[in-house]
Amino acid sequence: MSARTEAVAVRARDRATARPAVRRGARPWLALPVAAAVLVLSVGVAVTIGPADLALTEVARSVTTHLGLGGLVGAEPLSALRDGMVWQLRMPRILTAAAVGAGLALCGAVMQSLTRNPLADPYLLGLSSGASLGAVLVLLAGVPLLLPVAAFAGAVGALALALTLAGALGVVTPTRTVLAGLAISQLCAAAVSFVIFWSATGDAFREVLSWLMGSVASATWTSVAVTAGAALLLGVPLALSGSVLDAFTFGDTAAGALGMPVNRTRWVLLVGVALLTGALVSQSGSIGFVGLVLPHAVRLVTGARHRLLLPLSALTGASFLVWADTLARTVFEPRELPVGIVTAAIGAPVFAFLLWKGNR
Amino acid sequence: MSAGPTTATAVTTGHDAGPVTTPGLAATGVSWGIDGRVVLDGVGLLAPAGGVTGLLGPNGSGKSTLLRVLAGVQQAGGATGDGARTTFGGTDLAGLPRRQRARVLALVEQDATTDLPLTVLDAVLLGRIPHRALLAGDSDADRAVARTALRTAGAGGLADREVGTLSGGERQRVHLARALAQEPRLLLLDEPTNHLDIAAQLGAMRVLRDLAADGVTVVTALHDLNLAAATCDHVVLLADGRVVAAGPVAEVLVPEVLEPVYGVRVDVLTHPRTGRPVLSFDLTDPRS
Amino acid sequence: MSRVPTHPPARTRRALPPAAIAAALVAALAACSAPASGDPAASATPSDGFPLTVDSCGFETTVDGPPERVVTIKSSTTEMLLALGLGDRIVGSAFLDGPVPEDLPTVPAVEEPFADEAPGSEATLALEPDLVYAGWESNLTAETAGDRATLASLGVATYVSPAACKAEGYMPDPLTFDTVFDEITEVGSLFGAQDAAAALVEEQQAALDAVEPDDRGLTALWWSSGNDTPYVGAGIGAPQMIMEAAGLTNVAADVHDTWTSLGWESVVEADPDVLVLVDAAWNSADAKIETLESTPATREMSAVRHGRYVVVPFPATEAGVRNVDAVASVVDQLAGLDL
Repeated sequence: MSARTEAVAVRARDRATARPAVRRGARPWLALPVAAAVLVLSVGVAVTIGPADLALTEVARSVTTHLGLGGLVGAEPLSALRDGMVWQLRMPRILTAAAVGAGLALCGAVMQSLTRNPLADPYLLGLSSGASLGAVLVLLAGVPLLLPVAAFAGAVGALALALTLAGALGVVTPTRTVLAGLAISQLCAAAVSFVIFWSATGDAFREVLSWLMGSVASATWTSVAVTAGAALLLGVPLALSGSVLDAFTFGDTAAGALGMPVNRTRWVLLVGVALLTGALVSQSGSIGFVGLVLPHAVRLVTGARHRLLLPLSALTGASFLVWADTLARTVFEPRELPVGIVTAAIGAPVFAFLLWKGNR
Repeated sequence: MSAGPTTATAVTTGHDAGPVTTPGLAATGVSWGIDGRVVLDGVGLLAPAGGVTGLLGPNGSGKSTLLRVLAGVQQAGGATGDGARTTFGGTDLAGLPRRQRARVLALVEQDATTDLPLTVLDAVLLGRIPHRALLAGDSDADRAVARTALRTAGAGGLADREVGTLSGGERQRVHLARALAQEPRLLLLDEPTNHLDIAAQLGAMRVLRDLAADGVTVVTALHDLNLAAATCDHVVLLADGRVVAAGPVAEVLVPEVLEPVYGVRVDVLTHPRTGRPVLSFDLTDPRS
Repeated sequence: MSRVPTHPPARTRRALPPAAIAAALVAALAACSAPASGDPAASATPSDGFPLTVDSCGFETTVDGPPERVVTIKSSTTEMLLALGLGDRIVGSAFLDGPVPEDLPTVPAVEEPFADEAPGSEATLALEPDLVYAGWESNLTAETAGDRATLASLGVATYVSPAACKAEGYMPDPLTFDTVFDEITEVGSLFGAQDAAAALVEEQQAALDAVEPDDRGLTALWWSSGNDTPYVGAGIGAPQMIMEAAGLTNVAADVHDTWTSLGWESVVEADPDVLVLVDAAWNSADAKIETLESTPATREMSAVRHGRYVVVPFPATEAGVRNVDAVASVVDQLAGLDL
């Protein structure tokens, strides 16, 4: 077949499938600074929103005073209570939401590539169920101080179990890993249900439920330190591993043929995801849908190129969760919803939309 | 193809065409077992540079496994025995660091798929990974190599399409392009003509022959004996994990060799124009 | 304004005999005529029982002076303050379980609660309270009105109704009227309203003593909520306390808990003489009766067949100032049942 005939045939096929050739944005890399700016703006706006009637100037006074710029702009500090609302309640919560959102979206994108499964999320390998089990045990034992430690230990423990199970079945393939993770998740979830049913009294249900739904309401500056620290220490290296993940696009054999140490890479990335997710979940409970849906939404913009997908997912995830939490704090004021409810309420229809769009 | 074969493949292989004398692939004593089952038993393979070597054999004879073992990417199972030695151009292939090996050797698999939304150009650019720093991105030079690879593989117009929308044949060409983007000196292919119609099959083999003419060592597993007869220079015949015969096409593709391996009645004719063997089969049971 | 020298909050107080009251009044008059300190308002020197530290469900709460801006959560605490005449201190009420009884003087902050359910932290702090008085422990978490330690660091004291403590050693086991009266007294000293508290305790004790418990030895089940699995009063909580004072024997008394979930099977097997139904806005007594009469398993119970129901409004069933009234009401209703 001559080149011309072949080209004609190709064009005919293009028309026949009626799918437009995918046009990349002229400068997709522009998305990164834009997303960063959106995040900063979101944090700034979110701190002024809340059930309490705080004027913009009061919020500004509080923030500038705490940032040590009070002398510069001549701002007087607010009363302890009003200042506390801004600096002890809103700020830690917003910053934690940003760090958690960034980390979860990033981990979700990495997991989806690692397991080659578009339905993967950071909790896939039992991380969320394990963390829940640790947390619930500690909450019902009445030792809430140990909660973050127990949640983290639970997450990592469940992951270890899942990987052991996958390994015991033979070669560790993505499918096996996913299935093993599912098994461990179910096991831990059953244990959680049992523990709650057996020992929860009176209104302990509420606290447990809040944790299971995922919430940043109890965020303190310590939570900010833990989540932001984990996001920087673990998240930044993960976000930079885009090229490495690209190599896995067509499977392990292809990745190996491109010069990647397949097993070692997979383990390093998995452990990174597990540690980061464990740290985040220990502070906020298992907030759902962020890790699952955001990477898909971002892919609509970036395509599957991980070098852009990973950092953009992180930035978008951060903004998303900040706004979800703002909604959770205000939509039913004076009541507050756990942010996990909002992410599920938004995430489910968005996911359905993405599926529908992908099938057209 | 628009340009003459030499120009296109010259860019792909990264240096001037011309007769090269680098020795090709030499493997001896390759043995591999999976779950206690012997898949390869002391296989030796000699694939001269500048030629297309066909790897033939019935299903289950170990062709795919052999190719993956040679590429160093076979996951399941392990080598049985220490006698394996694989060299390419005199250098020990197994001893090369992975990334370096990926710059020399490329593998085109049978069925590589992805669910992710990926453009063809991005898929081909993956082949440039061994040539850049671990965390680096694609440069313009990479993109140029990728586009050339696409053209060489006969998929030049598909660059902006999404991989998920391609037909089987188009996908095969894209995978070939990806391997070509690695600028390999040794190209291993696992049944690259499976999903192609006859024109595309011959087109693909023509690409391989042009690469071979440029000095690339090409080893391709094929299931179509006639295609092998028409396009390969040398042939290695595997059966039950062992090499049954190896050598020039005319010597291996003869009834005495083929009939015991495939269990069918074979007659060898000669092509009126090219002089190459043409195999013909009938329903006669060879045992009768 | 001078203060009456306080008595330390005793755990087991009985009604003061009149002579002791007279003696206290005399002492008060004597104290009033003593030279008062220079500044009558905020007392910098520790005196008159302030600053006061109480152990509230295991959390140490300190108030420097009687709280002036109180947020109350749940009816039990709101009505407690109203009954002590401290309604003017309430700046916001939330999560009320029903209307305030007519005989309690109400205030705008109670008529218009600022939240129908547990309020969020910021909404609570927006009212700038100096004390949050919560009816349930779970009202004081980060997801609801605020984590107690965080609130304390912002200068907001927190106090949980002692009967609602869940921790070991703090949960009343069993809950008795003495515990309820002790809460009244403790709240009195928190607010510097010891007199009002003492008077209220005396009034309630007298009313309780005046009740003649039913003597027919009737068995009863206290059904609080839940349809598939009824949530019933068990052995050590307010339901038990009220039923016992009314002369009823609780069929679920051997479960060592405040409330518990029982299967209908156990209930039908016990076949109590009387069913005490809690009337709440979210689960009315009428709805309960309808369920009982329409479910095949329960309609054969003797109490259902003869319509032997006693109704108690929900707010009266949490430990607080309405428990004595509840006992009286139950006894009255029992008298009206024919057995």
